[in-house]
Amino acid sequence: MMSGSNGRRPAIEVTGLTKVYAGGVEAVKGLSFEVAQGEVFGLLGPNGAGKSTTIGMLTTTVSPTSGTARVAGSDVVTDPIGVRAASAVVFQDPVVDRALTGERNLEIHARLWGVPRGEIGSRIGEVATRFGLGDLLQRTVDTYSGGQRRRLEIARSLVSRPRVLFLDEPTVGLDPRIRHELLDVIGALRDAGDMTIVLTTHYLDEAERLCDRVAIVHEGRIVALGKPQALLDELGHEIVELRVDAPGEPLLSFLRQRSVIGDGAFALGSTLTLPLRGIPAADVFAAVDDFGAAVIATTTRPPSLDDVYLNLTGGRLAAAA
Amino acid sequence: MTTTITAPPVDLRPTTDTAVTRPAWRSVFSTLTGRRFVLSAHTPREILVPLLTPILFADVLAPALAKSIPATSGIDYQSFVAVGTIGLLVPLSCILGGIGMIVDRDSGAQRDLLAAPAPRSLMVLGNLTVALAVSLFQVIALLGASLARGATFTTDVAGWLWAAAAVVGLATFMHGLAEILAARIKKQEEYVGAAPPVALLPWFLAGSFFPISAMPAGLTAIAKLLPVTHALALLRYGLVDHNGHGLHDIWGMTNTTAMATLSLLVVAMFAIGVLALSTRVFTRAAID
Repeated sequence: MMSGSNGRRPAIEVTGLTKVYAGGVEAVKGLSFEVAQGEVFGLLGPNGAGKSTTIGMLTTTVSPTSGTARVAGSDVVTDPIGVRAASAVVFQDPVVDRALTGERNLEIHARLWGVPRGEIGSRIGEVATRFGLGDLLQRTVDTYSGGQRRRLEIARSLVSRPRVLFLDEPTVGLDPRIRHELLDVIGALRDAGDMTIVLTTHYLDEAERLCDRVAIVHEGRIVALGKPQALLDELGHEIVELRVDAPGEPLLSFLRQRSVIGDGAFALGSTLTLPLRGIPAADVFAAVDDFGAAVIATTTRPPSLDDVYLNLTGGRLAAAA
Repeated sequence: MTTTITAPPVDLRPTTDTAVTRPAWRSVFSTLTGRRFVLSAHTPREILVPLLTPILFADVLAPALAKSIPATSGIDYQSFVAVGTIGLLVPLSCILGGIGMIVDRDSGAQRDLLAAPAPRSLMVLGNLTVALAVSLFQVIALLGASLARGATFTTDVAGWLWAAAAVVGLATFMHGLAEILAARIKKQEEYVGAAPPVALLPWFLAGSFFPISAMPAGLTAIAKLLPVTHALALLRYGLVDHNGHGLHDIWGMTNTTAMATLSLLVVAMFAIGVLALSTRVFTRAAID
């Protein structure tokens, strides 16, 4: 039996997980990773990368074509009910009975997940308090705003106190204020330390803010896996982004020849992203001047996961999403 | 309205039990059934709309026709048609109920239910239980309206039981068809287009307005293969046709109890077969 860094068996163990849909579309190509108990793990990538299909397989709503996956010790193929008993999921799209009250939605979920009848009321009260739903519970969900509905769905997933919580793009479509409030709540769940959370997102700031580790998924494969800071450190501590009046690739080659840029530099059109890795920025600007290009705009900033993704895939994550 | 999400020190930590709680299937079934019932009650079209046409047949058309067609197989025509409209009511109600399943899949909580720790076939059984309850209610309402308009049902406990068994069998069969259609058809508008042929066409051949023996031999042979024909013959045997004329038209035998048993077996076989198939189709369609 494998065990995580804390000596306990991983909450999620995925080995060679593959999904080929009818028609031959290979959405997930041999993913392998582990998620430790209590860890917040991010699956990061643009739409179509295979994140939701992976979540679907881990929640037993998508059948794997090959490979294995275990959630809380139960195999997703041979013991799907065991997987579902230990987990809950917040879906990307609204999944709620709009004709019923918020309380009725929570109650149905609690009963289906086997919450003892005597505890259902107190559990609903807890999550309602936590998510500011107290005044809304007696209203039918079709009167809720989008943010209120989303909060209800997250609250619902917590009524059963799952060991593993899957959040599939939980903040998509929310206004910025509600989005940040929800991120606070997810952060609080992370800080409690007992619940394993798998979060898919294409918002890079969410991953950086919430996740203990991230897997960057590109075209069904994991192209990077690690702690966000470790992935960022691979690009150094500072990045210069230049927009010049010339094609970027020849200038990039010139800068490499002059050894004023480190690994991980790349060009998209006339924009160059240059990890400095201790090289003074002035040296870079001097080399650009020597090349004969004029700098139109300059930005100096710390690297982001966007840069990591871009370096690995050649496509800008946020633009692709 | 501005609402702030607060974070009081409430306990949302996961259960630490060694064994994860797996709910009792009986509890899951009752929860799913209760949910479907409440959703149906919130959707009057699922209960009341299917009643309108059959009641118009039974309370307007049948009394009018009864003036020129005094009796059919020894039964007053109004009562004959009143029972015949059950063959329209139950299929129409069950098939229209499939729209609710598509709504549930597309914009309801079905996906959360599919992630619940219970066999997904329980969803089909929960839906079926509500369909049966709604069908029985509708049949009672239809018979009540027919009685109020002058139809006569001379029956006893055994007769009611034959009739109830026929309704349960027919409703199970039609609900199974609705589950299959709803799982296969992706859009509501396509489903609405497919529903009338499935619900209505068999009814025209099943001896609703006239004995099946009055049709050409080829159509009579087809009618004998339809579960709705057997269900209507059973309903009439139980409620108005104690000599079993309808059953005789199907089986050509003299022992009415034996013929009724055979017809009930036919309806039951169709019901169980389609229910099993619909459960398989639903559970397979539920996962990609």
